[in-house]
Amino acid sequence: MADPRTIETETVILTGDAAYGAADYEVALESLSQWQLAWRRYKKHKLALFGTGVLFMMIFLAVFGPIIVPFDDLDIRPVSQPGGEPPAATDLFGTDNLGRSVLALTINGARLSILIGLATALIAVTIGILVGALAGYFGGKADSILMRIVDLVLSIPFLFIVLVAARVFGSGDIVVLILIFGLLSWPGLARLVRAVFLSLREQEFVLAARAVGVGNLRIAFRHMLPNAIGPIVVSATLIVANAIILEAFVSFLGFGIKSTDISWGNALAKSQGTLINGNWWWPFFPGMAIALTVLSINFIGDGLRDALDPRSRV
Amino acid sequence: MTASHQRAGGLTATGTPPLLDVNDLRVEFRVLDGIVKAVDGVSFSIEPGETLGVVGESGCGKSVTALSIMRLLDTPPAAIAEDSEIWFNGRNLLALSGDEMRSIRGNDIAMIFQEPMTSLNPVFTVGDQIAETVQRHRKQSRKAAWERAVESLNQVGISNPERRAKQYPHELSGGMRQRVMIAMALSCDPKLLIADEPTTALDVTIQAQILELIRKLQDESGAALLLITHDLGVVAETVHDVIVMYAGRVVETGTVDEVLLAPKHPYTEGLIASIPSKELRGRKLNVIKGTVPNPFNMPKGCNFSPRCPYRFGPCAEHDPRVEDARPPDVACWLYTPAPGYPVPPRTRPQPSAERRDLARALSTTEPVDRPQL
Amino acid sequence: MIKFIVRRIFGFIPLLAGAVLISFFLMQLAPGGPASQMEQNPRITEEQIDRWLAKWCLTRGADFGSIAYEFAGWLGVINCQNEGVAVFFSEQGGLNILPTPLGGGDNGILHGDLGISTTAGRPVLDVVTERIPATLILTITALTLWVTIAIIAGTYAALRRYSFFDQALTLVSYILFSLPTFWLGLMLIFLFGPALHLLPTGGIITTREWSPFNTSQYWEQFGGDPIGAILDIGRHLILPVATLVAVNIAADSRFVRASMLEALSQDFVRTARAKGLTGRVVVFKHAFRNATLPIVTNVGLEMPFLFSGAIVTETIFVWPGMGRLFFDSLVNRDYFVLMGLLLFTTVLILLANLIADVVYALVDPRIRYD
Repeated sequence: MADPRTIETETVILTGDAAYGAADYEVALESLSQWQLAWRRYKKHKLALFGTGVLFMMIFLAVFGPIIVPFDDLDIRPVSQPGGEPPAATDLFGTDNLGRSVLALTINGARLSILIGLATALIAVTIGILVGALAGYFGGKADSILMRIVDLVLSIPFLFIVLVAARVFGSGDIVVLILIFGLLSWPGLARLVRAVFLSLREQEFVLAARAVGVGNLRIAFRHMLPNAIGPIVVSATLIVANAIILEAFVSFLGFGIKSTDISWGNALAKSQGTLINGNWWWPFFPGMAIALTVLSINFIGDGLRDALDPRSRV
Repeated sequence: MTASHQRAGGLTATGTPPLLDVNDLRVEFRVLDGIVKAVDGVSFSIEPGETLGVVGESGCGKSVTALSIMRLLDTPPAAIAEDSEIWFNGRNLLALSGDEMRSIRGNDIAMIFQEPMTSLNPVFTVGDQIAETVQRHRKQSRKAAWERAVESLNQVGISNPERRAKQYPHELSGGMRQRVMIAMALSCDPKLLIADEPTTALDVTIQAQILELIRKLQDESGAALLLITHDLGVVAETVHDVIVMYAGRVVETGTVDEVLLAPKHPYTEGLIASIPSKELRGRKLNVIKGTVPNPFNMPKGCNFSPRCPYRFGPCAEHDPRVEDARPPDVACWLYTPAPGYPVPPRTRPQPSAERRDLARALSTTEPVDRPQL
Repeated sequence: MIKFIVRRIFGFIPLLAGAVLISFFLMQLAPGGPASQMEQNPRITEEQIDRWLAKWCLTRGADFGSIAYEFAGWLGVINCQNEGVAVFFSEQGGLNILPTPLGGGDNGILHGDLGISTTAGRPVLDVVTERIPATLILTITALTLWVTIAIIAGTYAALRRYSFFDQALTLVSYILFSLPTFWLGLMLIFLFGPALHLLPTGGIITTREWSPFNTSQYWEQFGGDPIGAILDIGRHLILPVATLVAVNIAADSRFVRASMLEALSQDFVRTARAKGLTGRVVVFKHAFRNATLPIVTNVGLEMPFLFSGAIVTETIFVWPGMGRLFFDSLVNRDYFVLMGLLLFTTVLILLANLIADVVYALVDPRIRYD
């Protein structure tokens, strides 16, 4: 039977593949590494860039500020009113009730506040990853017990337990404070990590690694953890922001770091009493510094969330 | 028996205007990476009470065509060309206001979708969802609307309709949910029913039941049916006429017998040849070589030409579609003399014994009496 | 439904147990033991101390030796006036653990004995419960207000995505979310107090005109002029509520927006449109109803933060609720009150969660008598 598809023509019969090169089918992308793609996405986020800028400024302030505008404990000067001097040419941000320059207080406070924020995040992230990975990877009993603990810690009002712990164990020690904050901030992150691990556990690449004989720990940390980097980083930024605000409130109440050290919280510690007399500048400037820093961190967190989301498009 | 239709609001041979007349429909999508021509000049028409199937692969534009008729596309990313026209009952749907269109949807034209699982609202009873349509279009009381809802459920073969109407979608099986969708669509006696892949998401055993139901109801109510599917078997069982779409264009039209038994367009030919059947057991499966074109970079001329085993001179240069074509119609230079090119000698494929068997295999439908799932 | 509720309550038991354990631990931490705490307040008589110690099975200068025994006594499970097996039975003869009217004992937490406040010299139970109304007024008003505004703003933003309103809402949300709550409170106090003289700067009632809140004298006065009383409370309510609302509205409105967008992208919304329903019906009947499900869950999850927020605002605004009591007790190291507050807030939070769960089950027909 003659093949009805025979044609006599001058042109060569081409099959589909040869007629069009691969380039026509795929939108060609230069091969970029994951991090480069993420950076590209991050750059598109105007607010995140703004936040990064402001944060760098704050960190610069924290590191170099005390050198440029040193805070001298002995700079206690007499004041004309209980709430300190209002902003003037001599003291741009005014003074507190002891005559100390609020500008100096704000600049010097950056160091401890930011440090506490970062250190808290470090502790929380470490514990959170460990707990979350163990719970998510091994599942079963370990998971149940660990998650019960997580639930318990998450159900108790955070501020309540933080303040009580600060009061009981505190006494002004920065390290103790950081430990308290860190030990109470990890559950949320642990939950996230656990969720990622649970979903990855059944995927082929884990089974493949196991089949080749890779040990459990190695699988967990080398192969699965990188997938959780996105949520972890975003969570970490939130923890830093939270810790800064928390330190501020705890120190404001007087249960935080000792009064000879300066943090933003400390800086406005006794300011409420004389607020009625109108000394707005005393709590305003340190608080503004806190708000700006936290705002930048939140913007950065948002930018990171979009940048590191594997489902975003370039 | 081929009815001959004409375009743009003209009269048919029978003297009455077609119920639905799609004229040069062009739909573009503006996305981040460029412009996608999802529908590139599609025209067809349906008489009152007739059935038309739209067949093609995923992404060929058939769903977009249906959604355009209903004007359910989101018009920021989508854009319908200004000179496209969709005539329904003497009015151009594309020129109607929002309110006017809303009174047509669900009322004169009804649509059922592919996923019965997610197409029903989980927080309302099925009876509520049907009655809602009736109330909206018939302005009836709640009680009357509810009764109509129960009646529709009965019509689609759901037993115990009073009880079922009070149930929630998650309490029903997939097949039942699709019956509910059909009941909802037919509750206001539409003149045109559009079914977009109504059985794709269902079990094979249920598919036959649902298709049969659709056909029966369409017959009884006298509504026209526009059935969209990628499954040639579905088309063979349910509709009388068919159009084949490829990459946004219509490549062949005709009755089901014509197109399936004696396909003219190489694409249609390839589609049918690639259906596995027990008659072809032991042989390598046929495929259409290549892949569908990149939507951002459509081939010039006939958009199937890169994959066409018969391509010759004019194919890569000129679009083979003809103005005012009449079905049975084929958009191919093998059948329409291309100006300036010699017509290649080619034997028109005759329905071989193989093909007849194939066609029979496709159109097997013995109504099966199965318990409703 | 009843089974559902009962099952949820059983699920809370581990959490309650945890809270109870922490409370006990807290109490043990008091330097010198609970007894020496109470000795510091001259208003608490020796007899009161002795009686209470006996009831709680504590010994002066307690060490960690018989912790289990102390815990059981403190909890109210055993009656340490007796010895041996009889320790499980009360004076009346019934099982000690039962409620008092049913023949149980009258000691320990389970029977409502939370100790004595070292600052007030009165039972902790009284000290805490008299603070509940003020906190409820503050938190419920704030919660209702911010959830309502968040729903309205979030829905509008979802419907007008990327519009000016939407982008402005996002930006404002970020800013509000980043402000330290207590600092916002301070600034508002300054603005409406010393600066504009529009609103009172603290407290729940105007002290010159009204007796302290929630005392019997106050309620007598209230009866005499209920409208005036309510207006007075209202004026004092504005700033603390504004503080709480401002900070919380940010996160919630973005969440509502996301839920609405999610609901609007569902298939059944397309079906609703295909039926020819008007935009209003599609959005508010079909989409919104589905969006409320995650919103209810979210509000339920926010409960613990509601109390944290109350601590901050009540402290700043000297609002006589549980939050302020917490702060005062921290300052004065009144461990028994702290312990009592922990138990109370845990129970309240669990109750709130339960209500949220029930509401969710009512709203989502897929969860029925599960």
